[in-house]
Amino acid sequence: MIQIDKVAVTFNKGTALETTALRDVSLDVPSGQFLTVIGSNGAGKSTSLNVIAGLAPVERGTVKVDGTDITIWPVHRRASLISRVFQDPKMGTCENLTILENFALAQGRTQPTGLRFAIRQGAREQIAERLRLLDLGLENRLDDKVGLLSGGQRQAVSLLMATTGETRVLLLDEHTAALDPKTAEFVVGLTQKIVRELKLTTVMVTHSMAQALHFGDRTVMFHRGKIIFDAAGPEREELTVQDLLTLFKRDQGEDITDDALLLS
Amino acid sequence: MSLYEFLGTMEVGFIFGLVALGTFLTFRVLDFPDLTVEGSFPLGAAVTAAGIVTGGWNPWIATLAAPVAGFAAGWVTAYLNVRFKILHILAGILVAISLYSINLRIMAGPNKPLLGTRTVLSSFEGLGYPTYMVTPIFFGVVLLVTKLLIDAFMRTGVGLSMRATGANPAMAAANGIDTGRMRLIGVGIANALCALSGALFAQLFGAADAYMGIGVIIVGLASVIVGMAIVPSRLVHQATLACIVGALLYRFAVSTALNADVLGLKASDVQLVTAVLVVATLILQQSGGFGRLFTRKR
Repeated sequence: MIQIDKVAVTFNKGTALETTALRDVSLDVPSGQFLTVIGSNGAGKSTSLNVIAGLAPVERGTVKVDGTDITIWPVHRRASLISRVFQDPKMGTCENLTILENFALAQGRTQPTGLRFAIRQGAREQIAERLRLLDLGLENRLDDKVGLLSGGQRQAVSLLMATTGETRVLLLDEHTAALDPKTAEFVVGLTQKIVRELKLTTVMVTHSMAQALHFGDRTVMFHRGKIIFDAAGPEREELTVQDLLTLFKRDQGEDITDDALLLS
Repeated sequence: MSLYEFLGTMEVGFIFGLVALGTFLTFRVLDFPDLTVEGSFPLGAAVTAAGIVTGGWNPWIATLAAPVAGFAAGWVTAYLNVRFKILHILAGILVAISLYSINLRIMAGPNKPLLGTRTVLSSFEGLGYPTYMVTPIFFGVVLLVTKLLIDAFMRTGVGLSMRATGANPAMAAANGIDTGRMRLIGVGIANALCALSGALFAQLFGAADAYMGIGVIIVGLASVIVGMAIVPSRLVHQATLACIVGALLYRFAVSTALNADVLGLKASDVQLVTAVLVVATLILQQSGGFGRLFTRKR
């Protein structure tokens, strides 16, 4: 479903701030796979997500989704194939618009309404029905501005919005990192439920090794712009965080120093 | 204030209500501070006046040509910003000053008198009602229809996309919205409204003038800020109503200030009065208001 072929990304090329974020990375995510991506700060995990989303400048290589070469497509054009949930709960929704209007926007991703009214007949009930899944009482607050919701509620709404309409690829960019542990657990559980139900091809970037191994069905680890570890199936089932650390030390000859990776 | 003065203030307020709605679209909906208005207001006046006088066009057609020209002007500003990444404020200023020269070309001079020629307002003569009553009603209807059209537009897919573009461009793009196109359309529409306003203003006062755009942007902003400070503006149809109320209140505030003998103000002080009014409203909206003058900085 997603094919990244020898993609290189360099930021601020030709300046003193030049940094290589991805070094000829190739990654193939088959249809329906739930991939978790891990790595320390600056390893390239978020850049790889942005390469798929269209936010990172691809220097070399190609990106294909569903067989279509989308390497030079702008972000908005990719939206028909890809939806994403941001790390910052404020980013995924429009706070001055109501819940209903936000859902209307999300529906426009695959079915633009143009000059017809954005909120169509029956949309209210349909959206209320979906919100009932959350069990947060949001189905009764359709006309409230999203800015009135808590971070966790907004992230749950973002997730529902991202999976409205026909979605092929779902990108999750540390979407629970800004939430308190209990809310994060709720959102990640919801994610798993939706991804399973809709059989979505999913890429989840996370800062937590435990989360990366616990969810999804394949894990890759980035380090200095390259994939240094890729596990799936039974081999991955048996892996623990400690195994990952040992592997990392053996292959790279250095310890992981990023506290966030170890603690969470 | 006599009835005559009252209606005179209302009609100008209605005309500038169009500018207020345009300013609302750019500053509030799109978060695109657009200064093209200073050029598109006289552009509308120039196109209509030259169309009627030089071109011999039907006044209604000449009036409708104004928003077309205004849309083009706004589109150019947005294009400079979207395509070439020129700062929005600078792009607006560049287009506004180039419009100054263009307007002189259109009018073949610094102004174009419309006295003694047929205008859209001539159509209402001979109906048996006094002009000073019919004119404000006409402008009021134009403004009301425009407001209702904007309210409806904001509920469409494109309108909602425009609101998302201003509020959260990253989210808008992730949901398939071409944010650049939304800015092109939105800034275009805003300047079309301002040009229409200029076209009506020129016909009311009997001349188009190259200098008539000075301070228009501040009048628009003053109307939006004053209106939203007074009228609840949570929903779009409330916000557009607030713009109109603001435009009228602004007119009354200015004419009261200029007419109050105690203040000793002259008509030429209008820009200063406007600026003071905007600053006062902005300060009053902050917590503490003018009390901040007397408290320590933190």
